[in-house]
Amino acid sequence: MTSTPSAAPARPRARASRLRRRNTLIGWSFILPNFAGFALLTLVPVVVLFYMSLTDWNIFGTSNFIGLENFQRLFGDGSFRLSLVNTIYYTAMHVPLTIIVSLGLALLLNNRLRGVAFFRTAAFFPYITSIVAIALVWNLLFSPDFGPINEGLRFLGISEPPGWLTSPAWAMPAVVIISTWRDMGYYMVLFLAGLQTVPRELHEAARVDGANALQRFVNVTLPCLRPTMFFVTVMLTINSLKVFDLILVLTEGGPGQSTTVLSQFIYRKGFEENSFGYASAASVVLFALCLVVTIIQYVWNKKRTV
Amino acid sequence: MKRSIMAGAAAAGAALVLAGCSGGAGGASGGDPDTLTISGWSVSSTPEFQLLADGFEAQHEGISVEIVDYDPTEYNTLVTADLAAGSAPDIITQKEVKFVTTFQEGGQLLDVSDVEVPDDIGGAASYEIDGTTYATPYRQDSWVLYYNKALFDEAGVDYPDGSWTWDDYAQAAEELAAGTDAMGTYQHSWQSVVQGFANAQSDADILEGDYAHLAPFYERSLELQDAGAQQTFNTVSANQLTYQGEFGKQNAAMMPMGTWYVATLVSQQASGEADDFEWGIAPIPQLDETTTGTDSTPITFGDPTGFGINAGISEEKQELAKEFLAYAASEEAAVALAEIGITPALLSDAVVDAYFGAEGAPTDELSRFAVQTHETRPENPTSSRTAAIQNILLDLHTAILSGSSGVDDAIAEAEERVANEVE
Repeated sequence: MTSTPSAAPARPRARASRLRRRNTLIGWSFILPNFAGFALLTLVPVVVLFYMSLTDWNIFGTSNFIGLENFQRLFGDGSFRLSLVNTIYYTAMHVPLTIIVSLGLALLLNNRLRGVAFFRTAAFFPYITSIVAIALVWNLLFSPDFGPINEGLRFLGISEPPGWLTSPAWAMPAVVIISTWRDMGYYMVLFLAGLQTVPRELHEAARVDGANALQRFVNVTLPCLRPTMFFVTVMLTINSLKVFDLILVLTEGGPGQSTTVLSQFIYRKGFEENSFGYASAASVVLFALCLVVTIIQYVWNKKRTV
Repeated sequence: MKRSIMAGAAAAGAALVLAGCSGGAGGASGGDPDTLTISGWSVSSTPEFQLLADGFEAQHEGISVEIVDYDPTEYNTLVTADLAAGSAPDIITQKEVKFVTTFQEGGQLLDVSDVEVPDDIGGAASYEIDGTTYATPYRQDSWVLYYNKALFDEAGVDYPDGSWTWDDYAQAAEELAAGTDAMGTYQHSWQSVVQGFANAQSDADILEGDYAHLAPFYERSLELQDAGAQQTFNTVSANQLTYQGEFGKQNAAMMPMGTWYVATLVSQQASGEADDFEWGIAPIPQLDETTTGTDSTPITFGDPTGFGINAGISEEKQELAKEFLAYAASEEAAVALAEIGITPALLSDAVVDAYFGAEGAPTDELSRFAVQTHETRPENPTSSRTAAIQNILLDLHTAILSGSSGVDDAIAEAEERVANEVE
């Protein structure tokens, strides 16, 4: 008899928690396949990576725990320092250039003229092209003695055109150009989506107030694009820091070591020289670099939004 | 409705997990004692594996030999992964000497010191670590000089006669370039084309960390590039030139290349892919006169290809696997390999007769001498430091030949890097 008054409020609560539990279960069953794959193929290896960076494993045999010795060796390693510098150099050039080019393309193609769909597709096409095909063709284009780009430069009057992919000073700029050409379509699509969120009324109001195109762009478009810009910058920076396949097929880190980036350093140490512990330590450094850069961008963005 | 959604989601989840679990080609033949599995690559275009398999099956009734096909560019990584997973074939083909120590230090190779191989088989020393043999060679390509007789006639230059030093070679290249439309010689972009000869003929060990002996070889390459007698390294890499195309289409009159190219050139001339011209093989130019001439033994380089045994195979199969190794190194197998144009590790007269018996192969004495008589020094010393050092030397190679760095600067940098970065 005394349980009845307490049972009455308890039942709706019990039913609520049962319903919540059931919803949670349904949610989990939907994401389980994807999460299982992610956990098994990405999460677990990354966690193991942190442990491996403290060992001297070489894929066979036992791994011996050697503490921070790998990291000490890394910071004394000239090649590591060079690849770190190259990675930062590549990122510093690639990120602003890609943002400018893809934003420009998005602004240009953000209209409803006939044929705009063709141009959008054409801009996006490089992103889905095979990277080996890209490397082959661009190597020929940039060929210093026989390539069309240098022929064009010589025609314009430049008698000593740069050696592009065969010159240590110009190899990285050439790689950045090719990489921007490849990525501009993808980020253009993201910017296009962001541009759709800019309300037309604001543009109209600004035009009525007498603002010209540039002022409209700076004061209306850019502020409305902030979330998209933030997303694009973060993704672009992380992908630039991790760049690997394009440089590997284009120059293989050459000539000399002028385009060797961190990912290639890791690949060489791990898969070609079988020092997996050492390569893991370098991977941890790359991870830390990406994390720090992303945190800085988050903090800055937060300040701006407030 | 909700129930069926849940059931559908659960079924999909289970199916995906199961799909992830299954699959994966295993190479191990497991417990079947009458089947031997061998790791190979590009089986359809590399007939040597099937040839050896068929020959062994013919000798042993009731035994079958299967070849597990791996991707050739990623061969070592894939075999490593399979060995680590315990699903690798019984016989592990050693494609590159650089990886032998990796397998051996990881305890993946069986001790095969008791396998009988002929005394004069080439390349056996590359598989010996600390006095124990971990693999046996069946094939050893070495490097020789190919020359286009038609272009030599056109320029009025005497054919190589086995007495050339590198200076003679450079002079001939310049004369050929001046006297024909083609380049004098073609130097492919691999680091081995320069460094292999430099290391072998200067009797240098790359593990020691001194690379001053590379300087004259690189200086000569740069001179030939500047003189227009040789295609520049930058053009070779940017235009992705192939050595088969450059020599086969008569774009160059000479080419240092490995003996594996003989079979390729013969078949390409037969199929029309390459031009039809007379060509020959000469011993590679030597560093100085002490090793020139057909009375001496010219020094060249090359690495063997061999078979090792997976240390994880069952006891009862070890004997059979060792018999396979012995068969692959035997003269009978060597003759069969030579007939299809492979350069075996054993180069007895019978083998060389078979090698030059193919139609389209050069028939002159000098070619025979070049293939049979040479001291072939290993391109890659058998050590765990080799891979790292070769990567550093590759950077040196690209830096010098692309014109990015001076010869002495690049050598000094390489020496410093080897001292600092390689344990």
